Amino acid sequence: MKFQIEDVTVYFPYDNIYPEQYSYMVELKRALDAKGHCLLEMPTGTGKTIALLSLITSYALSKPSNPVKLLYCTRTVHEMEKTLAELRFLHNYQVKHLGPSARILALGLSSRKNLCVNPRVVSAENRDSVDAACRKLTASWVRALAVENPNIPTCEFFENYEKAASDAVLPPGVYTLQDLRAFGKEKGWCPYFLARHMVQFANVVVYSYQYLLDPKVAGIISKEMQRESVVVFDEAHNIDNVCIEALSVSVRMQTLEGATRNLNRMNQEIERLKATDAGRLRAEYNRLVEGLAQRGNLPIGDTWFANPTLPEDILKESVPGNIRRAEHFLSVLRRLVQYFKGRLQTENVEKEGPVTFVASINAQVGIDQKMLRFCYDRLHSLMLTLEITDTDEFLHIQTICDLATLVGTYTRGFSIIIEPFDERMPHIPDPVLQLCCHDASLAIKPVFERFQSVVITSGTLSPIDLYPRLLNFNPVVSRSFTMSLTRDCICPMVLTRGSDQLPVSTKYDLRSDPGVEKNYGKLLLEMVSVVPDGIVCFFVSYSYMDGIVNSWHESGILKEIMQHKLVFIETQDVVETTLALDNYRRACDCGRGAVFFSVARGKVAEGIDFDRHYGRLVIMFGVPFQYTLSRILLARLEYLRETFQIKEGDFLTFDALRQAAQCVGRVIRSKADYGMMIFADKRYSRHDKRSKLPGWILSHLRDAHLNLSTDMAVHIAREFLRRMAQPYDKNGAMGKKTLLSQEDLEKMVNGVGDMLF
Amino acid sequence: MSRKESNDEEMQFNREEEEDDEDENGRGLDAWERTYADERSWESLQEDESGLLRPIDNKTLYHAQYRRRLRTSSAARIQKGLIRYLYIVIDLSRAAGEMDYKPSRMVVVARQAEAFIREFFDQNPLSQIGLVTLKDGVAHCLTDLGGSPESHIKALMGKLTSSGDASLQNGLDLVHSLLNQIPTYGHREVLILYSALSTCDPGDIMETIQKCKASKIRCSVIGLSAELYICKYLCQETGGSYYVALDESHLKELVFEHAPPPPAIAEFAIANLIRMGFPQRAAEGVISICSCHKEAKVGGGYTCPRCKARICELPTECQICGLTLVSSPHLARSYHHLFPITPFDDVSPSVSSDPRYLPKNCFGCQQSLLNPGNMPASCVSCPKCKQYFCLDCDIYIHESLHNCPGCESFRHSKTGKRGHGVLLKAEEKVHYEAREPQSNLEMEKRSRDLRKGESPQEIDLQDTINKEIKMNHLDEGKYQVALRRDSTPKNKPEFIAH
Repeated sequence: MKFQIEDVTVYFPYDNIYPEQYSYMVELKRALDAKGHCLLEMPTGTGKTIALLSLITSYALSKPSNPVKLLYCTRTVHEMEKTLAELRFLHNYQVKHLGPSARILALGLSSRKNLCVNPRVVSAENRDSVDAACRKLTASWVRALAVENPNIPTCEFFENYEKAASDAVLPPGVYTLQDLRAFGKEKGWCPYFLARHMVQFANVVVYSYQYLLDPKVAGIISKEMQRESVVVFDEAHNIDNVCIEALSVSVRMQTLEGATRNLNRMNQEIERLKATDAGRLRAEYNRLVEGLAQRGNLPIGDTWFANPTLPEDILKESVPGNIRRAEHFLSVLRRLVQYFKGRLQTENVEKEGPVTFVASINAQVGIDQKMLRFCYDRLHSLMLTLEITDTDEFLHIQTICDLATLVGTYTRGFSIIIEPFDERMPHIPDPVLQLCCHDASLAIKPVFERFQSVVITSGTLSPIDLYPRLLNFNPVVSRSFTMSLTRDCICPMVLTRGSDQLPVSTKYDLRSDPGVEKNYGKLLLEMVSVVPDGIVCFFVSYSYMDGIVNSWHESGILKEIMQHKLVFIETQDVVETTLALDNYRRACDCGRGAVFFSVARGKVAEGIDFDRHYGRLVIMFGVPFQYTLSRILLARLEYLRETFQIKEGDFLTFDALRQAAQCVGRVIRSKADYGMMIFADKRYSRHDKRSKLPGWILSHLRDAHLNLSTDMAVHIAREFLRRMAQPYDKNGAMGKKTLLSQEDLEKMVNGVGDMLF
Repeated sequence: MSRKESNDEEMQFNREEEEDDEDENGRGLDAWERTYADERSWESLQEDESGLLRPIDNKTLYHAQYRRRLRTSSAARIQKGLIRYLYIVIDLSRAAGEMDYKPSRMVVVARQAEAFIREFFDQNPLSQIGLVTLKDGVAHCLTDLGGSPESHIKALMGKLTSSGDASLQNGLDLVHSLLNQIPTYGHREVLILYSALSTCDPGDIMETIQKCKASKIRCSVIGLSAELYICKYLCQETGGSYYVALDESHLKELVFEHAPPPPAIAEFAIANLIRMGFPQRAAEGVISICSCHKEAKVGGGYTCPRCKARICELPTECQICGLTLVSSPHLARSYHHLFPITPFDDVSPSVSSDPRYLPKNCFGCQQSLLNPGNMPASCVSCPKCKQYFCLDCDIYIHESLHNCPGCESFRHSKTGKRGHGVLLKAEEKVHYEAREPQSNLEMEKRSRDLRKGESPQEIDLQDTINKEIKMNHLDEGKYQVALRRDSTPKNKPEFIAH
């Protein structure tokens, strides 16, 4: 369908549109017009992605003189592919209606691991080794050698791509990663480099958060994007954590040992080079004297790492004299590593700010702040000079330099925390030195400044006024939409008591109470006998899950549960969890029924959907507060209070509730779907906790469901499941219009117009 | 501090009490708890405008549902499978013992199955039913395919205990092996009444489902508590229907939906001729060896026209020569499925607001169409003859009568004018004898319900005569042959005895 939002004709590829999608587009359009940032919350399963895509592409089409570019950031490769598939559907529709003038170029960009077509390279097991294997074949000096000596292997795809030079372009269209690979294979061009090249010309680029937020990557990929771009962060409820992680580094004993090995190897290389080709080292020295390593002069294939600090913080001056010579720089690094080793020997937890840390480095090993700042670039330059290709081996020394550069650059918003052992396992020494970023606004600031519109959207952004404070920006639009439903297909409940009317909670003093554990067990036991197919349970932490599952096992509850459904458990091992999930799905498919025990904040809670029969019920056992004794969290809380005036309690509750909402939101992915959500903790009935849940859950949380005991919850579940099992009428029989056709929409728009004028 | 102690004590106390409770009985629910947890009688009441309580009025809702079904099912002239071989699979696993239906799920299911079996043979005289139960993880064949309702019901009622898990796969495997033997013209169907919420299978159920699909077995499931994915998948794959019952009356409705024959599977529905025998009733007092019970019997029974073996009941397949044996009324009674009457249109009270144009009485039962207080109630009208009917008559006409009284009376007056001839006149006479003028309709409807329990066949005879004559009139060659052979008065009593 095709309709008008103010001056923009929106092409929407479906015949009907949900009312909330329409209002979402209207708000988005306003933000684009105002060239400002916006924050939009809309429940999952209401077609956020297609609404976003169709509005922004239509917006670009309607302003052909100054088309905006769309940078769409997703969290996972899977989401990237899904987004591109929807975009292709939309694009076909637009081309059908507007003719070839509507053609755009849209592509996904990912790491070499996902894009490489060279069978020898892509067979490597992880991302870093694929990158290294690629460099071994494509680095400029390797190729230079190969010209003389045909026995040196190169990548034929990259060679073809280079040969084609400026002819190597993608024709307009929508390319998923798969299409890129297919296209690359067909033409014999390297899809990775082709995609990286085409990103500058594409109308739509879909890639992962890191490409914009992590300065190490963003410096290479995203620096050429024009200002007239719309940046979209989808599923952005955890964006503050992503920002913080992008600027945090942790160093362990293994890292330091690895770094020492790297340094030895580099030393050998330098010695060898001195003997064979001293000129090259001299050339580097001269270059450094002239200024910073001119990255612009290096061929594209060789720029694999950029400065970890943010663009405006990079010094535009030359490398200090005392680290210009390779051997001098090496000895600086050696001293630095030695210093870190010394710090890790400590018995106590230490916490200090970057300024004191730098001062103590200066005092003890004589490295000043300026030298620290240049570590990363200097290392980069040195590795290029030494023609090191197996970069995956050198990750350790890179981490050290990363830390050095960050700590040398920033004085606020960071702290250094040294812990001799993990708080929860005090007997196992595992010293770790962490550079923690506390300020999420640091990493995202350049994005807000560089691009005219940044859209942050997700299913759970409540409370919506907190995000602007955390990320330190001023949205022109911030709105939360609710879902229009033909039937009440979600059924949230707050369970505060067990069947014996005693309160249940995971509060610290209550959580190990056998009565509470038993009541939780009884709840699950009752539910498995009433709910068909899949049930997902979320616990507050791994240790709590271990404890309660053990106690259920001892009391025989687990055995009774297994009579009804099979039990699968998430572990910290990814492979094991994947296998468990796989079998869980199979058990749901074949009708045996299954329960999945998982942990809030775990991998499963973040990325796995339990839609349709894979999750008819989700039980959230307890409130998933962060581990409040963690030093990092305490430091961050302190920083938030001092800088942004956010109270500790508010932030903790906000964080816990957004995790809980994220967990329970896993069960419902479309309007035809249905699912129940049980919040099993008495604290959820308190208003300050509950009110932080997203609006679309709150609107279905009836007052009668706020203070339930197990037996009442079971009854409600039974009734709900019966009601939902009745045939589903998509158009909404009960007089609720949830699908608008073109006429409906026109009528609605005119109606609104009448009211306004 | 002191408060904490007292709290602890209290908890201690509570826990002890709890343990006592558990010792007493496994369910651990007292009568008062049950009324609170399971029955919740207050939920079936609603408040009306004047603040009075009254039971929730489901009638209009049900009628709307019924009409929706009617519309979907009765697209005219669909080929339908009249010769059905249906297995009813009844889940008697642990879940069937639950008491959310009163007195328990399995009793309710058995009750509905009984009613269904009677209704099924009423509507599908050419078809056969078998019973399978699921219990303790295995499937057990309770009765083989057969045409006698009584034997099935007796077998079912004797077996009502629940235990263990249910295995859908075992049930399907058993039914598949049983149904695979029947001739290709028969329609293979399974109706599963499933209480459990999971299935404990020995192997891969997907394979079994594909096997059923390959053998063209139409599987339908009626769930008792919630939607189960595997059931939905099974029904989708095999072309059946899947519903979940809300309560007992809804369950009944859902079960009865399976009584009329389903549309034939297209690729399967090639018109072909079937060899059938129309056995004669054996003379009274003759002693013969019964081929179905393998023992000597006196009197009654039928004789196979081909091999002359004695058979106890119809319809069946001859044990000796394998000939399908039916009686002509069986054929005749199945006939109406092929020519359903069109669904009636809704007449909403608001549209026909002018009271003069409103019909006062239902054309069928002559009852007033007005609500108390002269408010027009909802009624329906036949799109052909434009007569108005009440909702009860609507259901009765479509589900039992299969003739529109309005259309019939107009047609007769028309044909009378044209003066077709002696045959028609004679037919008309019989017609009117069989089913008196419309005012009698209501009486018949009532008495029918009364008599149904005692001997449904007797009443059916009237319908049958009707149909037979109608059929003659419509001149369907194939059936006429069958009728002519059988229409000797001698065969009529046979039918009653059956």
